[in-house]
Amino acid sequence: MDDELQQLEAELKRLRPVAPSPELFRRVTSDLAPASRCERRANIPWLWAAVLPAAAAAVAIIFLPIARHDPTPQIEPATPPKVAATAATVMTSGEVLKPVAVENVLYSAQDEGLVTLDDGTPARRERLNYVDTITWKNPRTNASLTWQVPREEVRVVPVSFQ
Amino acid sequence: MTLIRQIHPNSERMEDVPKNDFWQKWFQLYGPRLLLCARQWTRSASDAEDVVQEAFVRFWRHQRGLPGEPMALLVTSVRRAALDLARRDGRRALREERARNGPEDQVALFENPFAGEERRVAIEDALRRLPSEQREVLVLKIWGELTFEQIAAELSLSPNTAAARYRYALAALRHELAAADCHG
Repeated sequence: MDDELQQLEAELKRLRPVAPSPELFRRVTSDLAPASRCERRANIPWLWAAVLPAAAAAVAIIFLPIARHDPTPQIEPATPPKVAATAATVMTSGEVLKPVAVENVLYSAQDEGLVTLDDGTPARRERLNYVDTITWKNPRTNASLTWQVPREEVRVVPVSFQ
Repeated sequence: MTLIRQIHPNSERMEDVPKNDFWQKWFQLYGPRLLLCARQWTRSASDAEDVVQEAFVRFWRHQRGLPGEPMALLVTSVRRAALDLARRDGRRALREERARNGPEDQVALFENPFAGEERRVAIEDALRRLPSEQREVLVLKIWGELTFEQIAAELSLSPNTAAARYRYALAALRHELAAADCHG
């Protein structure tokens, strides 16, 4: 190759391809969160406490109309809705999803430095980003449901200079 | 996201990456180059991101323990994902429709270089005008940092053919850029 082509080659090598979008990073984070082994903390009581009532409420909301469903509806008594029938079958056969795992993965942490609280106390502020993953499983059929939620946590820790 | 920004940009060498490091560092290191490679085989920037996502996740879960250069493995994974995407006719039609409705293919390939925005645009335009078989070899060699042997294996060519296409691509690029300078 002549010098001119080598110069062009060197110029091209200096060009930096554009970075993937934050959206792509978020999607990869979501995909890799369950498989990641970094900074994992399992069995967090407060998370269970928050999630289980919410899950129970969601199940109740879904099945409440079915439980109240009149077996002899006034409008079309001969053809009850298919969805209700299917769901009722699921209820009666005991196919229930049970929570089996909770984990949270810390994927970024930033020390935002010193801040001053309202009372003048100096404090250090940290911003942490997690992906929380909760998995439910049906022990009979092995069907599973995974729920992933991104979470940002800001910690303000008072500091004292001695 | 923050973690990515904190990594020093000059650390972009494969041998600098510890084998068991977090995937974010890998993604910061390989992501931009993979995206550029993916754009050689896809019809839009959003398709390229889909392909990189699929390939990177597959690599990280199943292939990162394999012997060989990570970038070569990732490029193979990206290319397969791009070919798979192209085979999904319904999705491709949808993407093409989206591409027709917007200037997605004009999304910049490179960040602003020190040489200036005008030069970047001229290089990108010249790259886009190259024959695709030359452009993919050029991209894999310059930004993928693959050897001619690796490129040949990836594209089912002989190493000599890969090297020849690379030289043709550089010459064509020089010609295009010279013409652009004259006109402008």
